[in-house]
Amino acid sequence: MNQLILRQGISKELAHFSHILEFAHRKNNTIQLNSFNSNVADCICLYYIVDGKFTWEIDSQQHTLYPGDFAVILPGQRIGGESGILNIGMLFWIKISTEDCGKLLLGKWSGLTKKEKLAINQILLVNKQQLVLKLKEAHLLMQNLQQELQNEEVGFYTRVNQLLDELFVLISRQLIRQNNSRRDFPQTFLKLEQTLRQNLAHQWTVEEMAALTGMGTTAFTEKVKSYSGFSPLNYLINIRITEATKLLKKTEVNVTDIALSTGFYSSQHFSTTFKKLTGYTPSEFRKNKTPDYQYTS
Amino acid sequence: MNCIVIIEMGTAAVRVCAFDLSGNLISSSKGHYPTFHEQPDHSEQDPEQMFITMLYILKNLLIEKIYPKKYTVTCICFGSSMHSLLAVDKDGIPLGNAITWADNRGKKEAADLKKSSLGEEIYKATGTPIHPMSSLIKIAWMKNHEPEKFRMAKKFMPIKTYIIQQLTGACVIDYSIASATGLMNIHNLTWDEAALNFAGITPEELPDLHPVFYSDLTLKKEYQRVLKLQPTVKILIGSSDGCLATLGAGVWKNRMATITIEDSGAFRIIGDKIIEDPKQQIFNYLLTEKHIITGGPTSNGGVIFNWFAKQFGDFREAFDIDQSMEMLIEEAAGVEVGSGGLIFLPFLHGERAPIWNPNSRGCYFGVNIRHERKHFIRATIEGILFEMYSIGRTLEQHRHIESLSINGSFASIPFCTQIIADIFNKPVSTLSHADSIGKGAFLLSATEMGIYPSLEEASKTVTMHQTYLPNAKNHEVYAQYFKVFESLITKVAEEFDFISDLQQRYSQ
Repeated sequence: MNQLILRQGISKELAHFSHILEFAHRKNNTIQLNSFNSNVADCICLYYIVDGKFTWEIDSQQHTLYPGDFAVILPGQRIGGESGILNIGMLFWIKISTEDCGKLLLGKWSGLTKKEKLAINQILLVNKQQLVLKLKEAHLLMQNLQQELQNEEVGFYTRVNQLLDELFVLISRQLIRQNNSRRDFPQTFLKLEQTLRQNLAHQWTVEEMAALTGMGTTAFTEKVKSYSGFSPLNYLINIRITEATKLLKKTEVNVTDIALSTGFYSSQHFSTTFKKLTGYTPSEFRKNKTPDYQYTS
Repeated sequence: MNCIVIIEMGTAAVRVCAFDLSGNLISSSKGHYPTFHEQPDHSEQDPEQMFITMLYILKNLLIEKIYPKKYTVTCICFGSSMHSLLAVDKDGIPLGNAITWADNRGKKEAADLKKSSLGEEIYKATGTPIHPMSSLIKIAWMKNHEPEKFRMAKKFMPIKTYIIQQLTGACVIDYSIASATGLMNIHNLTWDEAALNFAGITPEELPDLHPVFYSDLTLKKEYQRVLKLQPTVKILIGSSDGCLATLGAGVWKNRMATITIEDSGAFRIIGDKIIEDPKQQIFNYLLTEKHIITGGPTSNGGVIFNWFAKQFGDFREAFDIDQSMEMLIEEAAGVEVGSGGLIFLPFLHGERAPIWNPNSRGCYFGVNIRHERKHFIRATIEGILFEMYSIGRTLEQHRHIESLSINGSFASIPFCTQIIADIFNKPVSTLSHADSIGKGAFLLSATEMGIYPSLEEASKTVTMHQTYLPNAKNHEVYAQYFKVFESLITKVAEEFDFISDLQQRYSQ
């Protein structure tokens, strides 16, 4: 297959695809200095290794990539070759701009539903540290993308975007597969809990939580209920109240800030939920905590 | 109609159940909370999450299942797993997570103390083997490794004390939980001076000691209101899961023992005297001042078969680990006794009784070219049960045991129960109730309320479901393989230390 480097604004092949900033299929035969300097990405950069061995620094960590490996770099993450070189071998890469300043990764070009886009967004962001995947299936997709971009046959616009969608679905599924073993739901559940705790202010939906475990919402809801005794949303409330209790005890942060940082819509919503479970309003709880527990030393 | 509510704070989950005054289970509910392992040897849980989960489950059970059936709650009794430790500041606010029994961070502190004569003195006084599981070692570790946290701590308590304190405001601990801390003198029922000195704390830094029948506790008004409970509801401090499971297993008779296998496991007997073991291999925990639960725990019970199922189970069709385990057991049932000479040492989590070696590891021994997957499945189960036998034999040096009662997850698998009968060469009975901890807590509460005149009388109400008789031929085969099992443990003791050290150094 011929080598190819397409760039937005220069290559006519990308004229219809403003979201594709770069597409390349490159065979690197020689080592050249400054051929791959470390840079902070301002778009999504995807690299697929066809042949050779590539040693790169990604987000301050050294990674060695082999054929079949796939690197996913999100906006804000740094990537570059060791000593600034690309290494010898063959690879594909594609760079895609993000919508809404990186908050929503897949733009209007994508044919996925909004829910699916949000789920993929969440999966990519949560797995930001998992930069290299085994993804041999991506080879054919990259080849097809190249053909569609070069040949411009009938329906090529839709086909290219479909292939990109397929690529993101494949990446998301692989991230989940590598993270969550079907054999070990408690482990998956622990990871989910940690992810929720890291961003409690986010208004998690059941769909998003299910996406993190790689399950459909029905299977996820059933599994969570039988495992934890809670529905997913009640489990989330449980964690929110747990964190809020700690903040009420430990800090002088005002109740509204606690409410919002733990994911309640308002201090009123927080107050009602907290009182329903504990019998105290958050302010009463804070006022009452000391006299009961103060120990003499 | 009146009822008794039991709150069991387990390692992985809180279980709340309600019994009518005749001992019939009305309803039960369970809520899980996660265990965090920030470092390989660490095992922690969030105390606030445990409390909120307990409250949530309790409230739902009362509102949705108990009150619609027109029951009035007259007593709430607590049970919990042993050896947890939480440090709180002067205001009762947790200084981090609670450390669970499975935490091994104090390996060095335990090893050093065990070697000394002070270790022996403390073991004799407290009845708790010197091991990282105990509060004694956990506090000593904190003193050595987290001095700032240690300095800020004004109380050290198990999770059950924290939960009761949240609900009632009282900082109390029962004898059974206290006797598993390694800090309580089980002979004079006070905090032990030598143990406290070693840990670097004073009695004021520990909760107040009370018998398991202590009920001078009042639920805070807010919780009375939100849980719709009467101010008169009796709050009973209760006991530990191990002591309650023994009470609920109906082994009050002198020549019976009980085997519990859940994730971990234990072999226990009950008596009126403390059994001192010169090798420090067994524990003595108090149910009451006159009822001593003596036994040995394994860290490698059901969790090991669960591990096996996760690694080697068939997940193509079956989504669930339980389904996969059932399929594995079916496969193992077709293999001859002794797994064709394949022996498994199950110490994937290190081991407590009887060897008390956190560095011990797992091992398949005797593998030959004819062994198939099914042999490994059966060998794994037999290895777990050989380990229980090993603990049982240690206890049998002190007490003649004629029959066994089994509870926990393995009790519901006839294949495993029969293997236990064959290995031990004793009749093994399953219980007519599934939850012996809940049943034990009910019997304790009912005795305190005067429904039964004594715990002995209460325990007579426990009924057995089915008895499995030993097969003498199978026992003969197992006896020979067990010799190899026992001998292997001694022979590779040094290698356990080497491999554990290499794993620490080179594994991520």
